[in-house]
Amino acid sequence: MKPLAGIRIADFTVHAAGPFCTHMLSQLGAECIKIESAQRPDIFRKPHAVYGRAGPATFDQVASNKLSVRLNLKHPEGIALAKRLVAASDVAAESFRAGVMARLGLGYEALRAVKRDIVMVSVSSSGQSGPDSHFAGYAPLFGAWGGLGHLTGYEDGPPVEMRHVMDHSVGMNAALATVAALHKRRRTGEGCHVDVAAREVASSLAGDALTAASAGIEVKRMGNADPQRAPHGLYATRADDRWLSIAVSDDAQWSALARLMGRAALAQDARFATAAARVAARDEVDRIVSDWAVLVEAEQAAEALQRAGIAAHVSWRASDIARDPHMAARGAVVPVRETDGRERMAVGFPARFSRSDAPGIARGTPGLGEHEDHVYGEILGLGRAERARLVEERVIY
Amino acid sequence: MQQDKPLAGLRVVEHASGVAAAWAGRLFAAMGAEVIMAEPPALCPLRGEAPLFDDGGSALFAYVAADKRSVICDTGTPEGRGALSALLDTADIFIDDTPLAARAARGLDETAIAARHPRLVHLSVLPFGATGPKAGWTGQEINLIHSGGEGYLLPNGLSADMFPDRPPLRIAGHFAEMQGGATAALAALAALWSGEGQYVDASVQDANVAVGCFALQRYGDGSVEHRLTRSFRYGGVIECRDGHVELLMLEERQWQALVRLMDHPRWAMDEALDDPATRSARGDEINRNIRAWARHHAVDDLVSRAQELGVPMARYNTPEQILSGAHEMARGLFGAVTVPGTGEVLIQTAPFRFGDAPLDLCRAAPGPGADQALLPHIPAARRVTA
Repeated sequence: MKPLAGIRIADFTVHAAGPFCTHMLSQLGAECIKIESAQRPDIFRKPHAVYGRAGPATFDQVASNKLSVRLNLKHPEGIALAKRLVAASDVAAESFRAGVMARLGLGYEALRAVKRDIVMVSVSSSGQSGPDSHFAGYAPLFGAWGGLGHLTGYEDGPPVEMRHVMDHSVGMNAALATVAALHKRRRTGEGCHVDVAAREVASSLAGDALTAASAGIEVKRMGNADPQRAPHGLYATRADDRWLSIAVSDDAQWSALARLMGRAALAQDARFATAAARVAARDEVDRIVSDWAVLVEAEQAAEALQRAGIAAHVSWRASDIARDPHMAARGAVVPVRETDGRERMAVGFPARFSRSDAPGIARGTPGLGEHEDHVYGEILGLGRAERARLVEERVIY
Repeated sequence: MQQDKPLAGLRVVEHASGVAAAWAGRLFAAMGAEVIMAEPPALCPLRGEAPLFDDGGSALFAYVAADKRSVICDTGTPEGRGALSALLDTADIFIDDTPLAARAARGLDETAIAARHPRLVHLSVLPFGATGPKAGWTGQEINLIHSGGEGYLLPNGLSADMFPDRPPLRIAGHFAEMQGGATAALAALAALWSGEGQYVDASVQDANVAVGCFALQRYGDGSVEHRLTRSFRYGGVIECRDGHVELLMLEERQWQALVRLMDHPRWAMDEALDDPATRSARGDEINRNIRAWARHHAVDDLVSRAQELGVPMARYNTPEQILSGAHEMARGLFGAVTVPGTGEVLIQTAPFRFGDAPLDLCRAAPGPGADQALLPHIPAARRVTA
């Protein structure tokens, strides 16, 4: 069995962060019922021109493995049906703006009334409380509010916007909190309302800088540099736009790098004898490493550096990840077959288990309403005539 | 009254030298687990990791070790291994980031742990995982963010426009390693839920490929993203009179709201811009106009009016603005603890909460071996006093 086999999720989430949460739980074995309507499908089912391309965003990845039903939450009977779905579930997940679920009649207390020990997880930009709780936001805004955007960037440049990794990081944290809440339910019999504010996930990822700042320490943007390590950065190699990341943490690694560069004498050079000295002479250290790196083949150099015990990796493109034997061996990248027979690459669950069945993706992207026979028929026990009426009256719509 | 946190009653032993494993432990501790760091006699290296307080203490360690316990335990000796093993007898989860090659000699390999502690969830957290051809590879934050694909795509937007020839960037701090930690924590709790004692092999690289899954999907759709071409066609990082804001509009109504926010400037009234595809094509022109307009406005005025009108806009907060932010204060996001030699500092309690109240922060990061009494069966002669 997969680790979370037997857990069912009524999934009202949309966009990226919330769906990534339930996507992780789904890969771990939870049965995830994605709830949308033809009137208001997940907006990530469609393209957005501001991205400058025609396809939808991450929808295929995060919707895969899920069951899809249509449900009109603007209809009173739709709300009643949503409650029946929640009553048959362990988890209700949503990612609307704070207050929207309550206005729909699907707030935590309403859900608790139909399923006493429900775990409700709400993913929003700024949380369920506080003066900014009504704020709308997407990943780059989360990163801006949370300080990651301000702290990231070249020393002499502007802040940098966080992209989908920010959304998905929020989803990963929400998945973690959801499983923790299930453990609490197992121990106490009580559910709870998990509140995940995306900006707080962002600030948690800069928490060391915030703690330092609270003691009056100035923390600034510093590009790829590290306050305690040099060389530490991205170095151009002989192929165009092929960059090698190198981080030297101690004197032994510096000596090993000096030998590898064919400049063993540098290990004895007093200017670079300690980490503090190398940091102080960072520009010179970078020049030395850059002069060497620009002549090397990036992957071969990374392997040689790793053999010498030095942290190094090529700055990888998606094509590198897709072709990598290590990724494939770990099931970190997996093929997924869509309903139409097309096969595509997807990202598998990012951990392996020795005794549970391997997590992963069994099905591709669901069509809107593809699994209503199973969900409305088998799980809720609605008869054909009743379902036909609900379709006719645009409740299932 | 003490909170009933979700993981109350769980005991976690953490044998960590890197941020990823320590972050997994921190998340468990925040959620109420008793997390005991088993430090080597040379102590956890994160105790010296930047950013540093004025006295040389680590703000990073103060943050990631808050609410944990510390025992000192030398797994290089039979006594230390015995003591750790006895401690693991009482634990639900064991977090370890010892490099693979060093595990067997310290009794920390999968087989040895499984034989002695069959009910334990043994969570291995390594830069590239414990299986696969690169299982022995090492990696610091900068290597890991670039091994997962996101580093290559940074920066984008304004920074990429200004410095197109510079090397790609990392995200500040320990973003990639913390992805590894959160993912590992999720996997361990899932393993615990299964009821099976087992080995969980978590990889920081895998976690970053997962949160960067968009790039792989795009590759499957036939294109490789690049930092110089994935910028939003309009919006993004916008400079104002006194700082920067982020602006992103996915929905038509949000664009219309921006036009209202700008008080219907003539350039934005061009009917052709009603079409999202045209706006995308003319993004550079739109951004020139937005930037020229924004330069005359103060960040706080703009964000407040924008959010009222439904325009997704946020201030690029400095650390100080977050620490004193009205929203953060109202939500009790930070707890205060006293760090010896530094005084009172603020610690974000957790990235999430389980109800209206934030998770309590109970104590500062422990001194070395502060909880040595928790370590069973260790002869007094072998104890290390810090």
